[in-house]
Amino acid sequence: MPHLDAAHRFARWLSRSPGEADDIVQEAFLRAFRGFDALRGSDAKGWLLAIVRNCHASAFRQEQRRAQVPLPDSDDVQLECATSDAAADPQSVSIERDDQRCLERLIAGLSEEHREVLLLREMEEMSYREIAAVTQLPIGTVMSRLARARVALKLQWLQESAGEPHAVR
Amino acid sequence: MPCAEGSRVQAYFDAEVDAVAAADIERHTAGCPECRALLEDLEATRTLIRREAHYGHAPPLLRERITRMLDQETASPLQRQDRPRLPAWRTRPFWFGALGGIGAAVAATTAFFLLFATVPDAFLDEVVAAHVRSLMPAHLTDVVSTDQHTVKPWFAGHADVSPVVADFTPQGYRLVGGRADYIDGRRVAVVVYQHGPHIINVFTWASRHGSARVTTRNGYHVVFWGAGNLEYCAVSDAGWQELQGLVGLLRALDARDARE
Repeated sequence: MPHLDAAHRFARWLSRSPGEADDIVQEAFLRAFRGFDALRGSDAKGWLLAIVRNCHASAFRQEQRRAQVPLPDSDDVQLECATSDAAADPQSVSIERDDQRCLERLIAGLSEEHREVLLLREMEEMSYREIAAVTQLPIGTVMSRLARARVALKLQWLQESAGEPHAVR
Repeated sequence: MPCAEGSRVQAYFDAEVDAVAAADIERHTAGCPECRALLEDLEATRTLIRREAHYGHAPPLLRERITRMLDQETASPLQRQDRPRLPAWRTRPFWFGALGGIGAAVAATTAFFLLFATVPDAFLDEVVAAHVRSLMPAHLTDVVSTDQHTVKPWFAGHADVSPVVADFTPQGYRLVGGRADYIDGRRVAVVVYQHGPHIINVFTWASRHGSARVTTRNGYHVVFWGAGNLEYCAVSDAGWQELQGLVGLLRALDARDARE
């Protein structure tokens, strides 16, 4: 199945929940399949990721309606790394796994609009033009969001590592 | 106060500038501590993400779920209604447009093949596997030719059947060549067409069940049909309408040959 892994990664970064990501990806593939003929050009991956993004947005809106509580989507940095649950059982988890979870917390602290451009650029290695196509944004906005996302990630990372003497930078 | 060149430096870092601009930015960066620090930061965050992010595969269960769903999606219109109802947000007008157009097309093609004789699933797997295998480098064709008068006689010596072969370039289906394959214990003839970026394999063998059916397997569209004492099967990742276009042309040609 083409681009399933990329679609799943994207859905996970957007939703921050593996279970929800599965539902989003499944729905996206159904939509993609039904609209297969609408695919013009050869960028099937970008097209599919755009559908994943739409599915996430629908699910998110639905969730909001149900909860009647707006979820935070500001740029506020939330400093959660290296706190309670990382310190809870330091022995049992491997360092690598710990780093991964830490990155996930750092990423989770970013706003959704920052998360998505960062993932598309750094993990999917898409060009600005491709990111613009997925997110339906002008390229200039992609660039400025990407810059802000990188700064926000770095800030979080710095604050997190301030608590650890041997941490990077 | 960040340097005004920051945005260009980022574009340079992301390989979004041409060689001339790159040289210019490198010159600037050499004399600008701000931008050198920025480059280091960009590199550091990139390394952090690429080193520690989870690049793993999607869960196998999810893959299975989606495959089953897509297989069911085209299995038959009756079965489609048996599917569990989707939650409300999934039926929003968002994709009514797509569903209206494409769904109707799929329903029409499905109705076109009113016979729903079953093709054994193992056989379907084999055909799709053969299609995927054919996409590997140097596996696609044994005889490369856009001339039907070259491809058709070639089959006489290499397969048990002589399929209908034609170049439909004017209609958008270019004849690429032919291949002999071995499926379900018999030699089959494969005619290869190209439609845009999509390869379409048309398998032909002496008819055993003569069933007509449209289905999807692992995301590939598969159409079976019979003509005379032959059975055909077209497999592709092309859209339904594109694939049905070729099937229609081949059936028309077969019907004409049968009359003559």
